[in-house]
Amino acid sequence: MNKSASVVIVGGGIVGTAIAYYLTQKGMKDVVVLEKSYISSGATGRCAGGIRQQWSESSNVRLAMRSVRHFENFKKDLGADIEYIQGGYLLLAFDDEEEALFGKNVAMQRGEGLDVSILRKHEIQYRFPYILLDDVKLASFCPTDGHANPHLANFAYARAARENGARIYTRTRALGIDVTNGRIAGVETDRGHIQTGVVVNASGGFSHEVGHMAGVDIPTESFRHQIMVTEPVEHILDPMIISFSRNFYIRQTFSGNIMMGQGDEDDKPSFNHDPSWRFLTEMARKMPQLFPFLKNIRVLRHWAGLYNMSPDAQPIIDKAEKVSDYYCAVGFSGHGFMLAPAVGEGLADWIIHGEPQEVDLSNLGLDRFTGEVVRERNVV
Amino acid sequence: MSCLSNPDLLVVGAGPAGLYAAIEAASAGLTTVIVDEGISAGGQLVKQTHKFFGNEDFFASVRGFDIARRLLKELSNMDHVHNLQESSVIGVYEDGIPVLHLPSDTTRLLQPERVIVATGASEKFLQFDNNDLPGVYGAGAVQTLMNQFGVMPGRNVLMVGSGNIGLIVSYQLIQAGVNVKAIVEIADRIGGYEVHANKAMRMGIPIMLRHTVIKAIGTESVEGAVICEVDENFRPVASTSQELAVDTICIAIGLNPSIELIAQAGGEVKYIPELGGYVPVRDDNMRSTAEAFFVAGDVSGIEEATTAMIEGRVAGLTVVKDLKGNTDLKKLESLKRELVAFRNGPTSARIREGLRKLGIVSSSKEHQYGNPNNPEKYMGKMRPVIECYEAIPCNPCETSCPTGAITVGENINDVPVIDYEKCNGCGICMTECPGLAVFMLRELPEEESALIGIPYELIPLPEKGEKVHLLGREGETLSDGVVQRVFKSPNKTHGVYVKAPAEIAGEVRGVSPVSKTDNTYVCRCEELTVQDVEKAINDGYTDFEELRRRLRISMGPCGGRTCRLNTLGMLSRKTGRPIEEFAPGVLRPPSIPATFRSIAGQEGAKDE
Ligand SMILES: Cc1cc2nc3c(=O)[nH]c(=O)nc-3n(C[C@H](O)[C@H](O)[C@H](O)COP(=O)(O)OP(=O)(O)OC[C@H]3O[C@@H](n4cnc5c(N)ncnc54)[C@H](O)[C@@H]3O)c2cc1C
Ligand SMILES: Cc1cc2nc3c(=O)[nH]c(=O)nc-3n(C[C@H](O)[C@H](O)[C@H](O)COP(=O)(O)OP(=O)(O)OC[C@H]3O[C@@H](n4cnc5c(N)ncnc54)[C@H](O)[C@@H]3O)c2cc1C
Ligand code: SF4
Ligand code: SF4
Repeated sequence: MNKSASVVIVGGGIVGTAIAYYLTQKGMKDVVVLEKSYISSGATGRCAGGIRQQWSESSNVRLAMRSVRHFENFKKDLGADIEYIQGGYLLLAFDDEEEALFGKNVAMQRGEGLDVSILRKHEIQYRFPYILLDDVKLASFCPTDGHANPHLANFAYARAARENGARIYTRTRALGIDVTNGRIAGVETDRGHIQTGVVVNASGGFSHEVGHMAGVDIPTESFRHQIMVTEPVEHILDPMIISFSRNFYIRQTFSGNIMMGQGDEDDKPSFNHDPSWRFLTEMARKMPQLFPFLKNIRVLRHWAGLYNMSPDAQPIIDKAEKVSDYYCAVGFSGHGFMLAPAVGEGLADWIIHGEPQEVDLSNLGLDRFTGEVVRERNVV
Repeated sequence: MSCLSNPDLLVVGAGPAGLYAAIEAASAGLTTVIVDEGISAGGQLVKQTHKFFGNEDFFASVRGFDIARRLLKELSNMDHVHNLQESSVIGVYEDGIPVLHLPSDTTRLLQPERVIVATGASEKFLQFDNNDLPGVYGAGAVQTLMNQFGVMPGRNVLMVGSGNIGLIVSYQLIQAGVNVKAIVEIADRIGGYEVHANKAMRMGIPIMLRHTVIKAIGTESVEGAVICEVDENFRPVASTSQELAVDTICIAIGLNPSIELIAQAGGEVKYIPELGGYVPVRDDNMRSTAEAFFVAGDVSGIEEATTAMIEGRVAGLTVVKDLKGNTDLKKLESLKRELVAFRNGPTSARIREGLRKLGIVSSSKEHQYGNPNNPEKYMGKMRPVIECYEAIPCNPCETSCPTGAITVGENINDVPVIDYEKCNGCGICMTECPGLAVFMLRELPEEESALIGIPYELIPLPEKGEKVHLLGREGETLSDGVVQRVFKSPNKTHGVYVKAPAEIAGEVRGVSPVSKTDNTYVCRCEELTVQDVEKAINDGYTDFEELRRRLRISMGPCGGRTCRLNTLGMLSRKTGRPIEEFAPGVLRPPSIPATFRSIAGQEGAKDE
């Protein structure tokens, strides 16, 4: 193992490996990634792979739009097929409140330059006839949204970073971060010590703990989030379909499996990864009401991952104040897969050039939680 | 009924192990639910139309399905027992254990105090060309079709494997009027008991040793099979291949314990090849490392019906102790002694070794098969291991040894005895033995490995530094290794020395050059071939978890039952790391696919 590094990234999920990729792509040498388990073992490998630009907060919209550009070029830039499909994202509104919110959001999103529109009920029915629309009021739809295979994306970043010279140590855990006089001296791992002046916390569900290692207080908490997949069936669903009030998302993978999930409302913060039967029964009762074709399809598997939540459900991308050169890219609150490319790019620039340059990370700082918190509403 | 959804005990699997566990628990007054997937309880027993071998007290020489019938009768006379047939436990969740009733496609959630997992085993899968064609069956499927449904799998069958299952199923096929064209056996001797083999041979079935199947022929379904001889290192010799006109290829190459549920319950599992693969870690009361979960029967290690029954009783009595505070300890202890006694014969040596790895003592009559070649005292010294136990008329080992360390003695039929004090480790005996029964061994404890000398007679002779497959006694690849030294002998039996991980040092008995494999399926669900897997491994996906996710291997409907071990085997070979070092991957629920309808419409559900 390397004894020293210019940057040590803690976490080999999509975020950590994207940062490693952009750092090395931009010429940085001696980049090390530490992954306590294996690549894609964290939330990344457990997530739904949705890539959506329809957010209620403009900073999220901008970041997602930038990421989509990267996903569109992924094959060309990284030489890897990650099963990226731009089938759009259909957001369903079920009540007056949602109807109003969608109208406001779409106006804001269009202002950011996003191709997004409101679909009336008959338009939805015409384009997506397999949905039982009884209680649906309207929908918003963005055709350039989509989804990809998160494992393949994570592996592709890891591989490209390695080819650029990064060292990725899997099955290697960061145990502590040495800080002397407000400066980072190194990282202690279960396979030895690495000298470094720069640390990036990209540890997903463990962001609070990895913050603590350097004495940086990161206001994140992790929650279990469950997801399930059916046996592969004929291609039915182009878009990813989502509802905030009904609390679900659903999409069909490249290989035909239908994947869906919901948030468990009364779950407490924890690192629990175990799936529950209750989740499965709730999904099995709720989903066929909207998607009747599901009734006779079989559930193959079901698992859980961690949502690393920040107080306003938006990521925290920042450089710590008290400890110099301690960066964090955490608190993705259930949408870190899609934001990883832009965040990776911006954070790499920040580390190399002292600022995020073209990527706007301005509203994502650690200091934003002191006053009133404006929460991102478009989350499941 | 509340006692149904909150029973004292849930027994999963109504084979011999599960039935006996339930009998012990219910007769002590515990409310017991027993769940089985089959249309009739009995597990493997109901498929067996032959007389059983084993211990008289446990129905030896009674036919399998009769045993099942008697046990079921005993159970049906008991209170507190609910027998759920055609039902499958589809997972173990933090909030309960769902049971899927297959005919009605409904589920119900059970919250038992204790669970005994007696799920038996599933069949191992063989890799050969076109092994995804309809007409390629496991022996268990063939048995189920024939003996339970009265349906013939085909008219002309090729049986692959001459273990007891292959032999018995062949005999049963003949009994049912099916033509068994041949039994091919890759090893150079019959795997099962001689009596079973003789029975099959008496029916005119040729048993072709040192043969394997390399290809299924056909477009829509099997129309033939290509078989061929294998060489000393179990590699197919292409020039010997021949076609057999068969419509069915039946695979009987062994069983894998069905550990999904115990793994989902958080029970630790460990790779122990002697017990059939990954098995639950458990104590001698059959308790797994997940406190409330027990195992019994083939799921805890592939063995026999007799031991399955005793284990079931041990588990049942221990559950009684857990829940009632006391149990018939005398009976419990005597059952445990019976298990030990049953396993002390020579054919249980592998089981004993497997149990030892689990930390479970099971004495053997040491004077019979304790290996005199392996006294602790000479650990680390280069010395021969002589695997020559059959008392054959032969003594070149004795006469060739320059130091007089080996004695066969007056009677040339005696087995060789070695005096390690005199031995200087030259290895001449290895190259002189005509039976290729002498191997050299030197443990390297600092490296947790061992140097092993293998007698080798093929051309080309591997070279120093060359990478080779390390083969076990049945030609199965255990791992990869590098040739450390080649000892050329004028008599053409050369010595090839390789380094192997310490755990498998006692198993490595051959080497073969690393060569390419062809278009052969590893994972039928995702249609992945050996090449796909090898390519991914070469691309650097050497962590089993990453490999799985890269290829989606073992993520299909079978949940990895067919491909997990084969993939791990390839990974182990390619990386030179023993299988034990890899985690088997998460065994996610549900264990079998279940429809939305069945999950949503579970009994006791409030809405709908
Ligand atoms: C069920 C589910 C569905 C989701 N669906 C979507 C979706 O559709 N679209 C979307 O954009 N997002 C989705 N998300 C969110 C998304 O998965 C995450 O935001 C994203 O994967 C975060 O990536 P990451 O690299 O920060 O974290 P992770 O992938 O969790 O990676 C962090 C890594 O750090 C490692 N680590 C932690 N501590 C240490 C240590 N001390 N030393 C070394 N390594 C350490 C962990 O092992 C882990 O591999 C979903 C999440 C879940 C759980
Ligand atoms: C051809 C053949 C010949 C044999 N001959 C002999 C012999 O002569 N003498 C001898 O002693 N032994 C013999 N055996 C071995 C013996 O049959 C087994 O060792 C024994 O049956 C193991 O018992 P068990 O209860 O552990 O498992 P099984 O008998 O395999 O029973 C397991 C049961 O669990 C059920 N099950 C599994 N998973 C689930 C789930 N999730 N939910 C619900 N149910 C589930 C299965 O359907 C099955 O009914 C033979 C085996 C075979 C195949
Ligand atoms: S190794 Fe040499 S000394 Fe030892 S037994 Fe064989 S021949 Fe004799
Ligand atoms: S194997 Fe060796 S010891 Fe055994 S009989 Fe042959 S020559 Fe003698």
